Amino acid sequence: MAYLSIRNLSKRFGQTLAVRDFNLEVERGEFVSFLGPSGCGKTTTLRMIAGFEIPTSGNIILDGADITFLPPNRRHIGMVFQSYALFPNLTVADNIAFGLKVAKRPPEEIRKTVGEMLDLIRLSGFENRYPYQLSGGQQQRVALARALAIHPRVLLLDEPLSALDAKIRVELRAEIRRIQQTLGITAIYVTHDQEEALSLSDRVVVMYEGKIEQVGTPFEVYNYPQTRFVASFIGQLNLIPVIVEDPQHGLVRFGNFLFQVDPAPHLNRGQAVTLALRPEEMNLGRVEGRNHVEGRVLDVMFLGAIVRVRVDLQGREVLADLFNERQLALPRPGDQVIINFPPHACWIISEG
Amino acid sequence: MDQNQRAPLRQRLVSWLILLLGGLYFFVPLIATIDFSLRARKGVLSVLAYQRVLSDPRFASAFTFSLEMALLTVVVGVILVVPTAYWIRLRLPQLRPVVEFVTLMPFVVPAIVLVFGLIRVFSRPPLLLTNSFTGTQILLVAGYVVLVLPYLYRAVDTGLQAIDIRTLTEAAQSLGAGWWVIITQIIFPNLRSAILSGAFLTITIVMGELTMASFLVGLKAFGPYMSQVGQNRAYEGAALAVISFALTWAFTMLFQFVGRRALGGDQAFGAR
Repeated sequence: MAYLSIRNLSKRFGQTLAVRDFNLEVERGEFVSFLGPSGCGKTTTLRMIAGFEIPTSGNIILDGADITFLPPNRRHIGMVFQSYALFPNLTVADNIAFGLKVAKRPPEEIRKTVGEMLDLIRLSGFENRYPYQLSGGQQQRVALARALAIHPRVLLLDEPLSALDAKIRVELRAEIRRIQQTLGITAIYVTHDQEEALSLSDRVVVMYEGKIEQVGTPFEVYNYPQTRFVASFIGQLNLIPVIVEDPQHGLVRFGNFLFQVDPAPHLNRGQAVTLALRPEEMNLGRVEGRNHVEGRVLDVMFLGAIVRVRVDLQGREVLADLFNERQLALPRPGDQVIINFPPHACWIISEG
Repeated sequence: MDQNQRAPLRQRLVSWLILLLGGLYFFVPLIATIDFSLRARKGVLSVLAYQRVLSDPRFASAFTFSLEMALLTVVVGVILVVPTAYWIRLRLPQLRPVVEFVTLMPFVVPAIVLVFGLIRVFSRPPLLLTNSFTGTQILLVAGYVVLVLPYLYRAVDTGLQAIDIRTLTEAAQSLGAGWWVIITQIIFPNLRSAILSGAFLTITIVMGELTMASFLVGLKAFGPYMSQVGQNRAYEGAALAVISFALTWAFTMLFQFVGRRALGGDQAFGAR
């Protein structure tokens, strides 16, 4: 059996079903993210694991024991909050020591653990500062150390980076992953930021309207989305309406252009379907063995590593992401261009 | 442009005039009282009235008695109000209007009604308290707690508003803390400045309180003592009024000082 096992979990608030029939198995040492837009039930699910919400139905089993109704202070689960939630009246060292003091650990052990934790978060020398004397990023590192000091069975992180600046966010993201792997701790991370979820996690749970849409590795959910929601929520997606020409050989028609895609024998000739593909699969110019289509450049956004070109394909807008290089000749708005994309990059969404 | 500049000038003059009038309204009686209190000896200014007041043993005993009652009121009030206000903010926010209404009762029900109610209920079995001095002291403190509720509850509630008690509570719970630890080690310390400001308000109110003290303990308390001195001896009464005024101001300044220091902290908390 998995280390943490969540079974048929549901939570109702009045008339709204915030979480419905949530099932998940998490292995020891795994880093799992709950990803979804606000109101998708990800935080509610996390709070039920922490014990702050009582499920309407279902069970949470941790290390073989049912903890569904155990009070939060007896679960031994660490939590990091979006607002840091450091105790303003305590110093950094006392904040980190709080859980150990509550557990009545010997002073020598407390001092040793606090020292180790400060090393871990690279804030040695800050033990006598108060939270208000620290930057946001430092406060969140202290909050992380405080949660880890009690050697929790699971570490829960509720949008821990949302309140921070972009640069600090990326730094701390790497820090969290490093610490999680150093300690081999089981972690569940809630975020609405797909980049965070994809870059940090062993597995991503994509949620929408209280339900799990897909569970998989970052590579799987990005490249093989199983639902329309996952496809549109994670990453950019170009949608092109086409007519099936030959399902056995994977031929579809878009106006005067014929595209080669993966064979789709379950479709019928003449059926209207939607072709979905990522902007980074689309490129400019003619390349042997690829599909081609003509379009007109609407505008060009230079994003640094990537140049995003918005192209009009007979009234349908698509994005093409080109890798930046110094010799790149940037297209200009109004230019007629040829767009190419490989056959295997497309997946077909049948309507309804 | 010219007119725009002139208008604020006129406004400023009006503001100063209002301030001046307010100042006169406040200071003239005060100066008159101080002046009068210094004329106990005919023809010269002297502190004779103050010497008489301060050398009266009843002054010291009434003052200490009322201070004790005030401190007891603070302790009982804080123990009652802090967990209540905390719990209402945390778990029963729908009850907030009800509790706020209850805490405002002393503004609606006069102290005289409250004290007669207390005496009627507690002067016969099964809750006979008025037949002993300890009993009346208990009644007095209980009455004072009700009387200061509007101030104490509001101060504490505002203090709770300034800290994110829900998340702090959850953080403490996830670290293994139970309710006792959360309230004593997290909530109380972070409410220090709010509790202090409520406590000083309580002390100033109780020190000057007349109605309840007159009916329950009489001249043993500072309020009734002041009132009696004022009625019987004019100069000493004035001196006592000045002393009591100075004490009130001293408490207010202390409260301002502590409050401002704590406010610096609060602002820093706000930047979390």
